[in-house]
Formats: sequence, structure tokens, C-alpha cells
Amino acid sequence: MSILDVKDLKKSFGKNHAVRGISFMVAPGEIFGILGPNGAGKSTTLSLIAGLLRPDGGRVLIGDYDLHLEPQNAKKMIGIVPQEPALYPMLSAEENLRFWGTINGLRPGDLANSVKRVLDIVGLSTRARDRVNTFSGGMKRRLNIAAGLIHQPRLLIMDEPTVGIDPQSRNHILETVANLRDNDMSIVYTSHYVEEVEHLCDRVAIMDHGHLIKEGTLTDLLSHGHRHQTLHLHLHGSSKTLQDLIAQLPGVEQVLTENGHMRINAVEAEPIMPNVLQLVKQSGASISNIRLEKPNLESLFLQLTGRGLRD
Amino acid sequence: MQKILAIISVGIRQMVADPVQMMFLLALPILMTWVMSFLPVDAYEMAILGVLVMFVALNLITSAGGYILEEKETGTWQRMRASTTSYWHIIIGYFIRLFVTGLAQALILLLSSKYLFGAPWQQGYWATVLVLSIYIFAMTGVGLFLAGFVKTQGQVQALAMGVVMVGTMLGGVFFPIDNASPFIRGIAQISPQSWAATALRDLLTAGGSLSLLMGPLLWMGGIGLVLLAGGVTKLQMEG
Ligand SMILES: Nc1ncnc2c1ncn2[C@@H]1O[C@H](COP(=O)(O)OP(=O)(O)O)[C@@H](O)[C@H]1O
Ligand SMILES: [Mg+2]
Repeated sequence: MSILDVKDLKKSFGKNHAVRGISFMVAPGEIFGILGPNGAGKSTTLSLIAGLLRPDGGRVLIGDYDLHLEPQNAKKMIGIVPQEPALYPMLSAEENLRFWGTINGLRPGDLANSVKRVLDIVGLSTRARDRVNTFSGGMKRRLNIAAGLIHQPRLLIMDEPTVGIDPQSRNHILETVANLRDNDMSIVYTSHYVEEVEHLCDRVAIMDHGHLIKEGTLTDLLSHGHRHQTLHLHLHGSSKTLQDLIAQLPGVEQVLTENGHMRINAVEAEPIMPNVLQLVKQSGASISNIRLEKPNLESLFLQLTGRGLRD
Repeated sequence: MQKILAIISVGIRQMVADPVQMMFLLALPILMTWVMSFLPVDAYEMAILGVLVMFVALNLITSAGGYILEEKETGTWQRMRASTTSYWHIIIGYFIRLFVTGLAQALILLLSSKYLFGAPWQQGYWATVLVLSIYIFAMTGVGLFLAGFVKTQGQVQALAMGVVMVGTMLGGVFFPIDNASPFIRGIAQISPQSWAATALRDLLTAGGSLSLLMGPLLWMGGIGLVLLAGGVTKLQMEG
């Protein structure tokens, strides 16, 4: 059984078709990533799942409940972590969490324990009594996650929770998300950072212009089609002859050289490496840097759409 | 009930913690009441009531409109709407919080006028509270209406200033308009600030009877109700 089942969901803003009929499912205890560039429709999708926008078509099931027909039961199961921290800056972390706990139906007697629990999860216990407007950006984002967790939802919806913060807070958040999953929470996680999605998500959907253009486990996605690996060499003293010799090696498909940066595309790069190294040595050139690039979501996105994720 | 109380108390704590808001809400009008108290005695009573109705209206219109826009900008509005708390609980919480802060502000100004600046009022206190309540209700209605239809803080500020300044300045609150042009007297006829200041003065000073004020009060209450209903419906449709 799935915790979230989205079918043919559609939403337009005037003539702008932000979400054009998408379907996916999220299993219990799974991190489902939605990867896409700015404007792809990720936030709109999450707003539809959270019941903040009324869809033009399609439906959302959360557990056994249809969001449209039984919004109270459905909403009880969801926690949201909006893209920008949605908190009261003049109140302390603890006061904020007590408020969001109450609003989400916690009884007064349960508030203290719940607040303590979520502050522990995001590592802000020592700052409980400090006002949110004294927090760094990273700390606000962590508290924003805590607020989404306060009523122990089964499904957490996170909208680009690491945009624009310092690496330390970012790592902390990624760790927190992985821990939540290990405690059986289901998570929908949107991002335009490939590394994050690759590192964190059990399954990934690639979103562009309101469509989910590809969906599957990371392995599925990356074995999609006939994928190349690229061997990058930074050389001193490379020559046209060397390039031609490498291009003739079996398995090599294409060699490009630009300012001493040689790119060798091959079906599989590892088997050709010894030969390449030997040719380089014989030619008298020297290698200052060598890197093997396996297919990743970035190159997959490029291949599917002809565009990069961040332009 | 818990939820409504939480919404009221968070709103009030946010406000009290902000020194700029508190200055605008209390320090500034008290200062102006003090300045007005140097006016000759026949003008000064109307003028301090004018300060009161002006600042109460400014507060309610800007905060009713402003709070919801601000919460939409920070996303706390959306987070509430995504929770199991119903829309009506949220609106009732907002309304009570606005009403209570407006009433508290008005009472503090009345009390400071009487006890700090020597306004000679001896009577009509309950009727005064009733008039204030209806006035506050109407101004909250204006604010929530703007919240539904206005998109930026700047627009809220500008409209609040416009409505309140025209209503107060040209409404005969700060200077007599008996000899003014028909246009100005027309504004005074429909200005809620003018009604409220006049009604308060009649009650507090002359011991006027509430029954004479029923017409304007019903009119103000009605306008408030219509605007409130419009704003609340619009906000709900927007999600
Ligand atoms: N409330 C709105 N009103 C009008 N257009 C919107 C609204 N929200 C989003 N959009 C538009 O919908 C498209 C998708 O936006 P969004 O879901 O925010 O993308 P993402 O989160 O992937 O960056 C964009 O073209 C955006 O301008
Ligand atoms: Mg977004």
C-alpha cells in the first residue's frame, strides 16, 4: 500500500500550465525526490498535495483518504516544510512549535514532549528559548522542519529545504532527512541539486515544464538508454596525434580537446584507462588531473531536455 | 477552542514584542492626545476623541489587512491552511485578536485622556464601550475586506491612510465644519470617524442618550458586516 498516491494532477494559473497531469506513488518509509529546474512546477505540486491549492483535475490519496473528500483525515497525516521558513520571527523556537502543535491538533498536555522531541531531531534544543529572528538562515530552516514534524505526520513534504544555506546546516538537514526515513517516515523531497537527490532519494522523478518526464530508482534512471561515461584528462603537452591515437582505441566513441582539457567519451571508461595512460606516456605529455564521470542525473536531464538544470 | 486561543495569543505576542508597532499603537497617539490637551477647552475634547478614532482606525485597517498579507508572505498563513484547523477557526481567531487589540487601544487612550490629561468625562461609560465596539467592528471589516482584495503592504498602508485621513481631517473632527463647503459637510455625513467622534463626545460630555445614535450605529455595523463578509469569502476562495 502507498502512503501517497497522486493521479493525473493538473493545475494552471491562467494560461500558465504549471502542473500538467502528473501521477506518482510514494511507499511507506521511502524518500521520493522530485528533481527539476526553477519553474518546473515542484512547489505547485507540493501545494496541491498539501491541499493549499485546488487542482483543476486529478486526485490525491493520502493513506486511505482522498484529500478532497476527507481533508481532515488526510491533512492529519501530512507535515509540510515550505520553501521559505514559515515561522513567527518575534516568538521563540519553543513558542513557535507549541503554536504549530496546537494548530495541528496536539493536546496541551502533549505539547511539551512533542516540542522537546522535534527540537532534538533538528539539533536546536539549546536554542529553544531564543527568538527566531536571532537565528541564522540554516537554523530557521531546521526549525521549519521541526514545525513540520511536530504532530508526527506519516508523510513529510519538503520543498527545497537546503537552498541558500551554509554547508554545515545543509549536511545537518540531509542527515536529519535520512534519519527520519530510517524511522519509517515517508518523504517527498524537491530539489534542483543533483547531488542531494542522488545521495538521499530512494526514487526520483524528473520534472520539467509541469511534466514528470522520467521516474524510477536511481539505478533505473541512470541505466536508461545507451549512456556514456566520460574520462576527463587535463594534460600538459597534448597533441593532435595523441588525440587521434586515443580515438582509435576500441570502445572510445569520441575525443574532444580544448585548452589541454581532453574529454574521452566511451561506453565504459574504466577498461580503456590503462591504454589511454600508456599512450599519454608514450607521447611525452603529462597529466595534471584525471577524472572519471559516470552518468548522473544532471547528464540525464541534459539528455532528456537538452538543457542544464540550473540555467 | 484551543486553536482559536493559540491564534489570538500568537498574534498578540507578535505585536507586543515589536517596539515599532507598540509605538505606533500607543506611544504616538498618547503623545498626540497630550499635545491636543493644550487646545482651548471647547476644541480639545473633540480633538482628543479625534486622535482616538483616527489611531484606532489606522491600527485596525493596517493590521487586519497587513497581518494576513504578512502571514501570506512568510508562509505561516499557508501553513495554518494546510493544517487540520478549519478556515473559520483561523478567521475567528484573527477577528477576536483584532477586536481585542482595538478595544484595548481605545480604552487605554480614553483612560489616559481622562486621568492624565484631564478630560472632564463623568458618564456614559457603557454606552461608550458599545459605540467603540461597533466602530471597531466596522474598521475591522474594512481591514479584512482589504486583506481579501489588496495584494501588497504598500497598498494596504496607502488605502488605510486615505480612508482614515479623509474621514478624520475632512470629517469635522479636528476643526469645525459648520461653515464649510457642502462637499466637506457631505464627507462628514458619511465619515465613520466623524460619527464615532461625535457620538463619543455626546455620550461622554453631554450625557446623550444611546437611542438617538441607533441609526448611525446600525449603519456602521451594517457596513462593517458587509465588508467583513466580502473579505472573508474572498480570502477563503483564494485558499
Ligand atoms: N500563485 C501563482 N500564481 C501564478 N503563477 C504561479 C503561481 N505559483 C507558481 N506559478 C507559476 O507556475 C510555474 C511553476 O512554479 P513552481 O511550482 O513554483 O515551480 P518550482 O517550485 O519548480 O520552481 C511557474 O511558471 C510559476 O511562475
Ligand atoms: Mg519552488
